[in-house]
Amino acid sequence: MTAAGRLLRLELRNNVMLWLLPVAGPLFWFVTFRPGLAYPPMWNLRATAMQTSSLAVFVPLVVGAAAWSGSREGRHGVTELLAGNARARWARQFGTWAATTCWAIIAYLTCVGVLYAVTAGTAAWGGPLWWPVAVGAASLPAFAALGFTAGALRPSRFTPAVVAIAAFLALEISANFIQGFDSHWQVSPLVANPWSLGADEGIATFYRYLPDLAIAQILFLAGLTAALMGLLGLPAGAGGSWLRRSATALTIVGALCAGTAVALAGTGHLDKNGMIAIPTLHNSAYDRPVPYTPVCSQTPIPVCVHPAYSRYLPAVVDGLAPVLTEVVGLPGAPVRVDQVAAAYEQGSDNDAGIARSGAAISGTPPVFNVLLPTQMAHRLSAEELTGEVRVGMARDLVQNLTGGGRGADDAQEAVTEAMARTSTLPPGSPVAEAARRFTALPAATRHAWLMAHLPALRAGQLTLAELP
Amino acid sequence: MTVLSGRSRLVTLHLASRRVPVAVAVLLTCALVLRIALHRTWDAYGALQLPLFFETGCAVVIAATTASPFGEPERATGRWLPLLRLGTVLALTAIAVGALTALTTGAHLAGGSLGVLRNTVGSTGIGLLCAVAFGGSLAWTGPTAYLVAGVYALYTQWHGPALTTPVLWPARPSSDVKAAVCAGLVFVAGAVLVMVRGSRDSLTRA
Repeated sequence: MTAAGRLLRLELRNNVMLWLLPVAGPLFWFVTFRPGLAYPPMWNLRATAMQTSSLAVFVPLVVGAAAWSGSREGRHGVTELLAGNARARWARQFGTWAATTCWAIIAYLTCVGVLYAVTAGTAAWGGPLWWPVAVGAASLPAFAALGFTAGALRPSRFTPAVVAIAAFLALEISANFIQGFDSHWQVSPLVANPWSLGADEGIATFYRYLPDLAIAQILFLAGLTAALMGLLGLPAGAGGSWLRRSATALTIVGALCAGTAVALAGTGHLDKNGMIAIPTLHNSAYDRPVPYTPVCSQTPIPVCVHPAYSRYLPAVVDGLAPVLTEVVGLPGAPVRVDQVAAAYEQGSDNDAGIARSGAAISGTPPVFNVLLPTQMAHRLSAEELTGEVRVGMARDLVQNLTGGGRGADDAQEAVTEAMARTSTLPPGSPVAEAARRFTALPAATRHAWLMAHLPALRAGQLTLAELP
Repeated sequence: MTVLSGRSRLVTLHLASRRVPVAVAVLLTCALVLRIALHRTWDAYGALQLPLFFETGCAVVIAATTASPFGEPERATGRWLPLLRLGTVLALTAIAVGALTALTTGAHLAGGSLGVLRNTVGSTGIGLLCAVAFGGSLAWTGPTAYLVAGVYALYTQWHGPALTTPVLWPARPSSDVKAAVCAGLVFVAGAVLVMVRGSRDSLTRA
């Protein structure tokens, strides 16, 4: 084994990060694993949430441990004694920092591995997202370097404690400064997808996870690591002249990389698929939709969703079922209901518009295209989703059939209300009364009337008095 | 006169050995930085979480002062040591709470003065317990880990299900008696243990 290998082995055995692993494990379970499993088993949701929350677990511990390790020589008052050591101080410090980083990365990958293994067993579609893992892993050397440098430059009993809290504070509040999708602050490794969109099932489902921002973040973190570790080699006692020149070069290159990454993050924009695209780093291959085989219901009119959404299918079918039974076989009725991707549009500041991509009805025979509600994971129970589908998608489907919606006449409004089983009309009004009468008809009678009169109703040729 | 000067010299030496002057400077700096930070308008997360970071910052500094540079010789000779330890902890906690409260007067501080008192006292208690268990130098690990849990508990107030256990007192309203009792008990336990046993000699000198 080489001298460097032996040094690393010694440092690994004595490193304080090893003592902190029993703290990191339960914290990861509490802050990342447990909430992660509360999300539906969708890779995009769990991986992006993991990136944000796991950093909150590891960063303060890694920074504190690294600061403690970095201040070792100073705390023990042996800096001058070790000046005559065969190894340059910078090389010794590298060994200590590497050991701290190694334990941190091992712990991080183990924790993430468990989360991913559990997700792999339950996910309905897709595979692991590795970019969030890579950003998290790249963060640990950078934050270890931050803590280590602070500890080495200011060795004190207070340094590990204060630097750990300060680094955690800086990490957490960095998200507060994100204003708009071209914010430089998006370079913060906390950010896995557009910050204001939250846990959105539609992102990285119909299209691949866009790595533009992750690449910029990794570049930033690598640059930060290099610059901070380079700083340690600058003082006179750090090593020989060639070593200090190397440290200077490392610091400059690191600072340039970090600065470039910050600049790149500032050129980002919200792409139509809901992720941050950075033109310089963008690969257009990621703009192509991911092929998939939809999961469909066994209903008179099949309802088909993306396989990642298969757990939502029963609730969606429950919401649509009354309307599907009503419209099946009618002239112009859709032969299938298809889930389509959302189209994202950048607004001002952190606002974004989310709409259905494409038309509501497409193809011959007609297919009705629907956009499922966004951020369902934490917002809606199955019953709430059914209710939202009933008043939103089901009514939308009926309106497309009857010609209801904006600018609809009274007859169209009444039939739409009756078929969608909603109550949006003023109680007691003639339209509401007509809707009530139409609802009260036997289903067969209603269906027969619609078969005969739907084209005329859609064309706006019927009056309220002509309704049965 | 000789007795008085002897006692004051003992106190001075004890405080110096624990780096108390530096600790007081850091505590005041924490309070000052919080005051400056509160001038900015923070979003809901930031406004709630910000004081907790500074309260925990004060707690880890207080916990770090428990580390003794002398170890066994001090324990063998110091008759007044338990009282000095307790007095130092109580004085620093009072300074921290006082500074955080006084310097943030007039600013919009989430949780108010009661929140500052509860969170600082509770986190300090965790730090003192960790000092007894792991040594003063590594006492920061407990309050820091608790800060992570506390920040997450605050986050769940928006993104449910909300954590409402009084054991995670930062997420409870400052008027919550159970949360205050939890924090107080932890502080009392930590202070008593530090007074009686002192901080453990560091588990690792690495």
